[in-house]
Amino acid sequence: MTDAPKHPESLSRRDMIAATAAALVTPLLQGGAVSMQPVAGVPGKFLTAAEYALLDELTELIIPADDHSPGARVAAVAAYIDGRLAESLEPDWQARWRSGLQAVDGLSRELNAKPFLEATPDQRVAVLTRMAAGEADPKTAPERFFGELKGWTARGYYTSKIGIHLDQEYKGNVYQRGEFAGYDAK
Amino acid sequence: MTLVKVAPPIEQDVDLSKTYDAVIVGSGAAGGMAAHVLTTHGLQVLMLEAGKKLPIEQELRSMQWPYDHPRRGDAPPGSHHLSFNEYTIRKPPYAKGAAFKHVYSYVGGWGGSDYVKNILVDEKDHPYTGSNYAWVRARCLGGKTNIWGRLALRLSDYDFKAKTHDGYGEDWPIAYADLEPYYDKVDLYLGISGVKENLPHLPDSQFQRPSKLNWGEVKLRESLKKAGQVLTPYRAGVTTDGLKHNKYRSKCYGRGACDRRPGGCDIHAVFDSPTGLIYPAVDTGHLTVRPNSTAHEVLVDKNTGRARGVAFLDSVTRKSYEAKGKVVILAASTLESARLLLLSRSPQHPNGLGNSSGHVGHNFCEHVMGPGVTGLIKELVGKPHTLDDGRPGGFYIPRFRNLKDRQPGFIRGYGYEGNSGHSMFPAHVMDTPGFGGQFKRSVRDHAGAFVSMGAFGEVLPRYESYVDLDPETKDAWGIPVLRFHYHFSDNERKMAEDMVATGREMLEAAGIEVVGTDEKVLTEGWSIHELGTARMGNDPKTSVLNQFQQSHDVRNLFVVDGSSHVSASCQNPTWTIMALAWRSCDHLADEFRKGNV
Repeated sequence: MTDAPKHPESLSRRDMIAATAAALVTPLLQGGAVSMQPVAGVPGKFLTAAEYALLDELTELIIPADDHSPGARVAAVAAYIDGRLAESLEPDWQARWRSGLQAVDGLSRELNAKPFLEATPDQRVAVLTRMAAGEADPKTAPERFFGELKGWTARGYYTSKIGIHLDQEYKGNVYQRGEFAGYDAK
Repeated sequence: MTLVKVAPPIEQDVDLSKTYDAVIVGSGAAGGMAAHVLTTHGLQVLMLEAGKKLPIEQELRSMQWPYDHPRRGDAPPGSHHLSFNEYTIRKPPYAKGAAFKHVYSYVGGWGGSDYVKNILVDEKDHPYTGSNYAWVRARCLGGKTNIWGRLALRLSDYDFKAKTHDGYGEDWPIAYADLEPYYDKVDLYLGISGVKENLPHLPDSQFQRPSKLNWGEVKLRESLKKAGQVLTPYRAGVTTDGLKHNKYRSKCYGRGACDRRPGGCDIHAVFDSPTGLIYPAVDTGHLTVRPNSTAHEVLVDKNTGRARGVAFLDSVTRKSYEAKGKVVILAASTLESARLLLLSRSPQHPNGLGNSSGHVGHNFCEHVMGPGVTGLIKELVGKPHTLDDGRPGGFYIPRFRNLKDRQPGFIRGYGYEGNSGHSMFPAHVMDTPGFGGQFKRSVRDHAGAFVSMGAFGEVLPRYESYVDLDPETKDAWGIPVLRFHYHFSDNERKMAEDMVATGREMLEAAGIEVVGTDEKVLTEGWSIHELGTARMGNDPKTSVLNQFQQSHDVRNLFVVDGSSHVSASCQNPTWTIMALAWRSCDHLADEFRKGNV
């Protein structure tokens, strides 16, 4: 890997400066490089433009922005999933995503008489609520897809800069000097 | 200041015309220790390692953030890690017919598989057959110590004299008093972090600075104390204060990288065999290391029947070579050393070398794991996030069963390894139901509020638990592979039930709500603590090695890894493997000087 550190010590200094959440995420929020708006009409590496827009919306519904931290959209979770799908050598897995996204639209037509992205926000939530109802014991195609979708959304989000630093306010992965931090028993 | 010093050169072209004082097969904890001790005594040593020498710091990249990795730490497409399900529903060889380019053991599936893809073996090249077994192997300089789990525990006379205590199996041919000075040496030479507890069944080490328990762990510790039980900070084979005598290892900086990955430490605060033992041994000028050397037979002298060297293939070119030694030391791991002995058949040793007893491959034992509990510490929900994972481990609850009491359902005991507090990835996310704002808030509020612990229990050694050579299947180098005949028994299953029930009681007594239990016993082998295939003993009819890990049959053959253990104890084996190897190699050097080997 080209990013492997030759000198961990120099890495540590860099990390200690860089690892504050603000330093890491400010450029993301200010630069406008990542839009807060849903993506529309932009094809993914594996997914079609329509599929990609649907996935992007689904991830944001699962982990939305709130007053604490941005959501899955700003954390570019859909792009991460799409990138993994694009390079995958497992056609079965790719097909499961394609048919899963179709199943979401199918369920939306059934409940709302229109595709997911044409439904109102409340109607979209109703679709996901139905998908999530079988979370403990999924039976239908949309229910089974929910676990896959949620799992990858969580993995994408909580391994992102936003998930780790802004949402979880993770304090570790630093060179601690002196005593370890953590709660002192006494 | 740089934390990692350049490793000494490890040659590939070594002088095979000369006869070394000792040839060591394997470079893990046992082989590394043998090399350290023998070179300290001035012996000329050749070490053969089947795998390559990896640029290990670049493999481990301990501080790399997930988002700085293209797949957030996952290996490239085409790699597959065996799951519990696959180990259960299929039979070995597990990679047979797999559509994937590479198949690895479950360890890569812990997350961060890209960091271990060159450390773990590809199951496609290294098949085995027989009963279900999750066999984790690392072929590279240092072996599995490169991703070692760090829990460094001593055994006690409850283990060494277990038969005397409960009548089952065999006592070891040594007592704790024999090994205690060597445990001390290992502690001081390699560094260990922990707290003294004065327990007869878990003797204390010469500890460096311990890591702290966090709030929930203290709560649990205080509750257990009332019941006469102990919870102690993780006894980690990690130097927290530094080692003045070892320039290759940094002290621990509490980066927490060891618990986020399948293991490993790129500044080597955690013990690993290359920086802890092998590089300093190379620096003595007495150790030659040849990587890429797949040993397949211990050669014996036709006239005397004694070991004269080791036949090996270059793992890359597949050319055949012979290494000559006055003494041969096997340290290839419990299962690989047994395989080598069984492969080394000759007219003098028709059942395999050192196997006149017929016990090579038998009495195979390990630790049973899987059962555990997870609790929610309500007081911590919604509290500000703190740095809890900057330490080499959480806590350990030592064995408490069948010490003074006699359990009706099982003999021997188990201990719990546990952890709590915040970590980089909120592992409870998939157990948090639903989606949306409430889901996200719940994940955030509950982060760091869980405590989980899983048990490691002693598996009884049984003659009928064994490995032998498969008559047909061969590995990628054409060498016959091991066939497993190994299953957990009722004792382990009864013990596993107790692990769950008792763990639940412990958490509940501390006022911690139990939110999850794992009742399933993981596949045989999962603990990566395989032991006992060439056990020590005083009787050559029922044991393979004497108390100095020396073959009863072949005086200049030693087996210094976990295969020598007479029983598994429930305490993790690495520290004992190294203390035993040190003791045996001290003895060997003494005998060598006297001309007795």
